[in-house]
Amino acid sequence: MAAEVVASLAVGILVVAPPFLPPYFLEILISVMLFGYLGAAWNILGGYAGQFSFGHAAYFGIGAYTSTLLFLTLGLTPWLGMLAGGVLAAVFGLFAGYLSFRYGLRGPYFSLVTLAFAEMLRVVAVNTKAVGSSLGLVIPNRESAPLNFVFAGKLPYYYVILAMALAALWITRRLERSKLGYSLLAIRENEDAAEAAGVDSLGMKLRAMALSSFLTALGGTFYAQYFAYIDPTITFGPAVSIQGLLQAIVGGAGTVLGPVIGAFVLTPMSELSRAALRGRAGVDVMLYGLVLILVISFLPNGLMGWVRRRRRA
Amino acid sequence: MTADLLLQAVVSGLLLGGVYGLVASGLSLIFGVLRIINFAHGAVMMLAMYTTYWLFTLLKVDPYLSILVTGPAFFVLGMIIQRLVIEPNRFAAEHNQLMLTLGLALVLENLALVLWQGDFRTVRPPYASASFMLGEALVEVPRLVACGGAVVMALALFAFLRLTDVGKAIRALAEEPEGAMLMGIDVRRIRAVAFGVGSGCVAVAGALVTPFFYVAPDVGESFNIMAFVVVVLGGMGNFVGALLSGFIVGLAESLGATLLPGSLKQLVVFALFVLVLLFRPAGLVGGGRGR
Amino acid sequence: MLLEVDGVTKRFGGLTAVSRFSLSVGAGEIVGLIGPNGAGKTTVFHLISGFEPPTEGAIRFKGVSIVGAKPHAICRRGLARTFQIVQPFVNLTTLENVMVGAFNCTDEVGTARQRAVEVLDFVGLGGRRNVAARELTLPDRKRLEMARGLATRPELLLLDEVMSGLNPTEIEEVIGLIRRIHAQGVSLLIIEHVMRAIMALSQRIVVLHHGEQIGQGRPEDVARDPKVIEAYLGEES
Repeated sequence: MAAEVVASLAVGILVVAPPFLPPYFLEILISVMLFGYLGAAWNILGGYAGQFSFGHAAYFGIGAYTSTLLFLTLGLTPWLGMLAGGVLAAVFGLFAGYLSFRYGLRGPYFSLVTLAFAEMLRVVAVNTKAVGSSLGLVIPNRESAPLNFVFAGKLPYYYVILAMALAALWITRRLERSKLGYSLLAIRENEDAAEAAGVDSLGMKLRAMALSSFLTALGGTFYAQYFAYIDPTITFGPAVSIQGLLQAIVGGAGTVLGPVIGAFVLTPMSELSRAALRGRAGVDVMLYGLVLILVISFLPNGLMGWVRRRRRA
Repeated sequence: MTADLLLQAVVSGLLLGGVYGLVASGLSLIFGVLRIINFAHGAVMMLAMYTTYWLFTLLKVDPYLSILVTGPAFFVLGMIIQRLVIEPNRFAAEHNQLMLTLGLALVLENLALVLWQGDFRTVRPPYASASFMLGEALVEVPRLVACGGAVVMALALFAFLRLTDVGKAIRALAEEPEGAMLMGIDVRRIRAVAFGVGSGCVAVAGALVTPFFYVAPDVGESFNIMAFVVVVLGGMGNFVGALLSGFIVGLAESLGATLLPGSLKQLVVFALFVLVLLFRPAGLVGGGRGR
Repeated sequence: MLLEVDGVTKRFGGLTAVSRFSLSVGAGEIVGLIGPNGAGKTTVFHLISGFEPPTEGAIRFKGVSIVGAKPHAICRRGLARTFQIVQPFVNLTTLENVMVGAFNCTDEVGTARQRAVEVLDFVGLGGRRNVAARELTLPDRKRLEMARGLATRPELLLLDEVMSGLNPTEIEEVIGLIRRIHAQGVSLLIIEHVMRAIMALSQRIVVLHHGEQIGQGRPEDVARDPKVIEAYLGEES
């Protein structure tokens, strides 16, 4: 009961407070929500199914480029382009996933192959004039056009990503309490034993992959609309892949709140470090690395995992 | 594609391939003994390149000569990293150990970025542009030296593993982990040594390429990926396979560059990577550990 | 015939693990599979449960060939197995472990949970429902493994050395549990080294040595078979 009250309060604050926040804090909050969202999307495949993808940037990029290209060439509103991007990403995810799982790639081999797929997409994007090569694409967004996912101020963007993040959490919770959820956990724990108990590991992993990649792609579209600029490195580069998994690992992979908690911890930390050492690029990522090492060493189940352990004891 | 172009591609590919082979041998050694894929491998190479740069720029030390310092120094650094960060977590879940080396990579790469910024630096000793013709192909001396040095270093590694007690202990631990403990091998020490040797190898590779490559915080990343491809191709834990596969990957990249414009050549290497992962995870050369 | 293993051979590269092996289990039977270490018994289980394809031969379950079927599909048809080294889902609770098996027959979480509770009570782990599997003792882990298999509503249950590592009291309990499972209508194929247990439980015993069948029959007959005795003694020398 207490947990429900705290959760409602937290959501309440997240809904009501932002209009009163100074723009800088609002920006940070938007980043937190975006990274938390990406972490939650990654978490479905990584934390629950136990398949650690190092190449989720592939889906992020597919989402970003699909909606942007459809918008720039056909004038299709990114709200719909977002869905198209999601579907495309899911298809690619199913393709990559089927190849990987069908041929039995597990653990680090799976991670490496996902890395390869993301890098391949990045290289293709860099060398394709139609998508702007390394110069990327600019989304015109000076005038407000809500039907085209373009807003004048930052606040509307915040509410969009807040809604997405909450939806992702809700989806994760529903997943946890479903047959798919239990099956994924079993696969994560011991794939052979799961198979012997009747779990269709290939089918279940593909479902997780499709959901995870679809959601990640939606995040890509949000990024494109919010920042109004995308290029191959930003969208397909390893930085995005790492962001997603970082939030989940630090916050607690395989938990509902983990990715968001992770984002609330990591993003302000990164902002503070960047502000403190102005002009010194790289401090924030260095801190990410340190936090990752520390979390793995001392809190291997992340922050939420630690909370759960204490609660059970 | 003309014969000349082909010859040039083969020459360039083989020369760089030797370096890939050395980098991958170190990675393979670390995997064979510690069973982890060291994502920080490229970062160590990058730090060695910076060390070479500073020794050259500040103290006028010839890059090849500085290997005498860089090699041992990074061997020690590797041992320290293993003891401090990896050994305490040796019982952690496999994916967590992967995260550990990823974290290390992030720390090391961005440490370089913070300290020295992202500008490209170069080390250009007087012989940097020396070259000669081999038929219709241009052979740049620094690349030839790098390849030769890499092969020599790799052979030294094999000799070390075959002939010395420590080397044999490393191989024992890689092949028969439980048996090794029963034989009285100091497993903790050997694990640290293996990581140190792997790091030393990649550091030497870094020093060797400095005269013709650029030095920047992200330079390790491209070698990292290449190293993964080479190691998977050669078979995880198969040191000989790593050297041979280095040449194969170097050739593939180079031939890819003649066929595909721009950076698309990387697609050839990645495609090869994915295919080998899917169909022959024990490596093309065989003798490695599969999935 | 519930299960028919028909002239099955399994080769791993140059090594022949199982050679022209045949075995059958009828509905309602308890069949024991014994043999010295390395005889190939677990390989036979892997072949039957779909973890390895046979190099030659046929395997039929309820009259239908299951060669090439994936393990989960075979489980769906009513054939469950345990592993020689127990494989619990360590980070899940006992209940959650068994629910995974229960989902074999339902898509509803509530139904699966109910079934899991029933099965846990049946095997005697009811009181440890919400304990994390990693905290279970070895005997309890063995029960958990059997419970997870039972939750899938199998017609045939393959038990792989469930008594190894147990003390005499625990062995008696497991023998009782197996009898109760049998009384529920589940047929059993049991690999076991604890001789008195398998002699007491089995209606029929098949003996495997170096991948080949060297004897089969009623427990008392097999115990006196000179070829069988020699196989075991030969192992000891």
